Amino acid sequence: MIEFNLNGKTVRTDVPDDTPLLWVIRDEFGLKGTKFGCGIAMCGACTVHLDGAAVRSCSMPISMAQGKKVSTIEGFEGKHPLQEAWIEEQVPQCGYCQSGQIMQAATLLEQNGSPTDEEISAHMSANICRCMAYPRIKKAIKSAAEKSNSAVNVYDLASSVEG
Amino acid sequence: MNLLNNFSKNKTEDSLQLSRRKFLISAVNSALVMAFAPLTMSLTASASEIIKQNGFSPSIWFEISTLGEITVHVARCEMGQHVGTALAQIVAEELGANWDDIRVEHASSDPKWGFVMTGGSWSVFQMYKPLSQAGAAGRITLIEAGAKLLGVAPKSCDVKDSKVISGSKSVTFAEIIKQGKFDRTFTPEEMNKLPIKSPDKRHTIGFDRLALDVPPKTNGKAVYGIDVELEGMVYTRPVIPPTRYGSKVLGVDDSNAKKIKGYLGYEILKDQSNWIEGWVSVIAESYHSAIKAADAIKVSYKSGDTTNVSEQDIIDEGRKLVNTKSAGVLFVNDGDMDKAFDSAASTLDATYITHTAMHFQMEPLNALAEFKDGVWHIHCGNQSHSLTLPAVAKALGVSDDSVIVHQYYLGGGFGRRAYGDYAIPAALTAKQYGKPVKLIFTRPDDAKFDQARSASVQKVSAAINDKNELVGYEHNISAGWPTLSMAPGFMPKGIDNTGNFDPFSTSGSDHWYTIANNRVRTINNPLAQKTFTPGWLRSVGPGWISFGAESFIDEVAHELKKDPVEMRLAMLDGKGKNRGHHPQSVHGAKRLKFVLENCKKAANWGQKLPKNEGLGIATSFGQEREMPTWIACAAHVAVNPTSGEITIKKIFMTIDCGTVVHPDSALAQIEGSILWGVSLALHEGTEVSNGNYIATNFHNYTPLRMNNMPEMEINFVESKEFPVGLGEPGVIAVAPAIANAVFHATGIRLRELPMKPEHIRQQSKQA
Repeated sequence: MIEFNLNGKTVRTDVPDDTPLLWVIRDEFGLKGTKFGCGIAMCGACTVHLDGAAVRSCSMPISMAQGKKVSTIEGFEGKHPLQEAWIEEQVPQCGYCQSGQIMQAATLLEQNGSPTDEEISAHMSANICRCMAYPRIKKAIKSAAEKSNSAVNVYDLASSVEG
Repeated sequence: MNLLNNFSKNKTEDSLQLSRRKFLISAVNSALVMAFAPLTMSLTASASEIIKQNGFSPSIWFEISTLGEITVHVARCEMGQHVGTALAQIVAEELGANWDDIRVEHASSDPKWGFVMTGGSWSVFQMYKPLSQAGAAGRITLIEAGAKLLGVAPKSCDVKDSKVISGSKSVTFAEIIKQGKFDRTFTPEEMNKLPIKSPDKRHTIGFDRLALDVPPKTNGKAVYGIDVELEGMVYTRPVIPPTRYGSKVLGVDDSNAKKIKGYLGYEILKDQSNWIEGWVSVIAESYHSAIKAADAIKVSYKSGDTTNVSEQDIIDEGRKLVNTKSAGVLFVNDGDMDKAFDSAASTLDATYITHTAMHFQMEPLNALAEFKDGVWHIHCGNQSHSLTLPAVAKALGVSDDSVIVHQYYLGGGFGRRAYGDYAIPAALTAKQYGKPVKLIFTRPDDAKFDQARSASVQKVSAAINDKNELVGYEHNISAGWPTLSMAPGFMPKGIDNTGNFDPFSTSGSDHWYTIANNRVRTINNPLAQKTFTPGWLRSVGPGWISFGAESFIDEVAHELKKDPVEMRLAMLDGKGKNRGHHPQSVHGAKRLKFVLENCKKAANWGQKLPKNEGLGIATSFGQEREMPTWIACAAHVAVNPTSGEITIKKIFMTIDCGTVVHPDSALAQIEGSILWGVSLALHEGTEVSNGNYIATNFHNYTPLRMNNMPEMEINFVESKEFPVGLGEPGVIAVAPAIANAVFHATGIRLRELPMKPEHIRQQSKQA
């Protein structure tokens, strides 16, 4: 039995230890916003936060989540400044990678309140957008950064709600 | 050649034929329904009787509720283009609707919708006129009813913000629908005569609206095919055989799979259509267990006969074919090419190769199949019910009317989800195992079953006269043909009647330059055809054919010591067959000339550049001559002479696509397609080895990422002409513009896609 905090709530699962976190989030707990892309941590579609760090849930066995805080796109509840910027800049095309893009971008803003173009590119090149909406992803990150007052002004349900 | 007509010529319900249908307006369940009548319906009845008939399913309809909500039903899928928003804008424009009242519904499969395909960059081009007319008919009906309520003459009324207005008086659509009685039919003749707004009066078309599908794509709520679950379903992963065709399962040993928790069993699939041969489905309680069990299971095969085929074999075959006189099918034959060669002062030829390129759409292929109450329900995002549904029915051995395909958001289409063959193994497993089956391809499974853009070979030859003019142009093109495998009934005959050809693998060779003698032969590569299923990949034929055509024009210009842009401009005279026609290609080649001149200026053509930098230019007319999207593209590159690395400093693009319905989405499509062009030119590509694609996942298939994104300058021509396609055309001119820029920078001509640093290093050494 593995116990962890998922978007602010304590959850338990008895799937085999080697089951990737991705499938537990999606199929056990029904949070389908986190996507399956490559299965080898190369595309970023499955990005979630583990204790605040961006991780690839497709390649992380559930055993590693034991006792930790996991946040998914659903945990942001549409209130993250990046989500607003994503709508303002009309970022998504097919949209499949965008949960992962937002989760990845959120960890950049957490460390760096006003990233340069180069810093955004370096951080976001871990994630593929097959529609190649890259110009807008970059613009939205910059606009969210400008609107947020500090680097740590990030909506983090996992730490704000008791687990 | 009209690709769209080729595609749907056998279908009586083609939406282009909406012009032959009546339009019906009636109140149903208190909502006002407006719809084109299906051709199959008896039309002696009144509009309201027909609409109330069971099975009434028109090709286009929208309805207004008594709350004033306007729902536009769209038989097109969302795969990133925000097509629902653009199509709803067209209705809203003519209807006079307040945009906040608009909703979009994406329709599921029903044969009565007609031939449905989201592809070919067709949607807006195809739907613009019928949707405008439908909106206008709705407006007239609402004005007539509204005028009565206001006690004024209809002539004094106008519509705005979902209201009928006359002077200071107004009444909302919702009020009109609550109080009015509607039972009205417009004949096709009346529909065609309806007044469509003049462009200067538009309030919705040409203005930005937030795309309706964007918000759910930022919070995880958008439902893609892979997200769908059904009660009692099991998970399945396919075990794909060693060859695409002709493999047979000899035996299955699942002793190791049995050790995996959650493993339920396997099925050797029996496909009555033989589209898939030698497939095994591994069934488990969870997808993770299905993945592991499929890895653990041992299947022995008798392989098909393509186990040793390599990329080089396919290219050698193509090279042989383009050099075989009279191979393939004659597609263009203007003037007298043989005479032009015979009387030429000099000739020039070049051969271009493009390697296998793949879809790698982000959402791996998947489908959920359930048999319920005598009907097969298939849940999967797909670009064409009309291609997918019959394929599934045939594989199951059932009639088309016992299959329903349910539509979802597509995690990328790019042509891979047009012929939805990935639903076949799901349906067969559900049939054989007797439960609802959710089948998901892992990324390597998806790659193995891809319908790749075939490797291609093309030879272009020029005849030059003694005045140093290009007087003859011959283009022989060869590749595997998607349409031959997936929709062979849709292949037209060549002009010499020697056979049929794939128009989608040929379009792009019928350019708009005026050259006295011009011959094009299009040739199927049978080795590619039997080794894999050649696919439609975003920008399709023009995406690789124009690499040859637009590189070669550059080569000719340099050979003739002419400026490559000036030479193109001179050939874009808009004369003869290049005059174009009303409405979609009106002004013809002159519009291409205009965008080329604009792009030339934007890129500051002729500027002095630092050493090892170059500027190259190319043009494109989009997906087909009958729906030309006029594009000029310039690439500014820097080439590292030692490493051979090509850096794109900037891409300039000028586009004339006629009326732009949704400017921000149009821009997004061009941004994405320019980057696709760069990616296919420099970053993507694989090869066939041992009968399979070498690329299996994102570690060895490497589309462009943000760190390689060049600067872009994009200019749209403000136009009031008929809208044409925009989803793919931006891809086409990018690769030849880059190749031409590399030549400008280095004097090295790259004739192979993707362009690789080693190609430059090799040629540097030879020089």
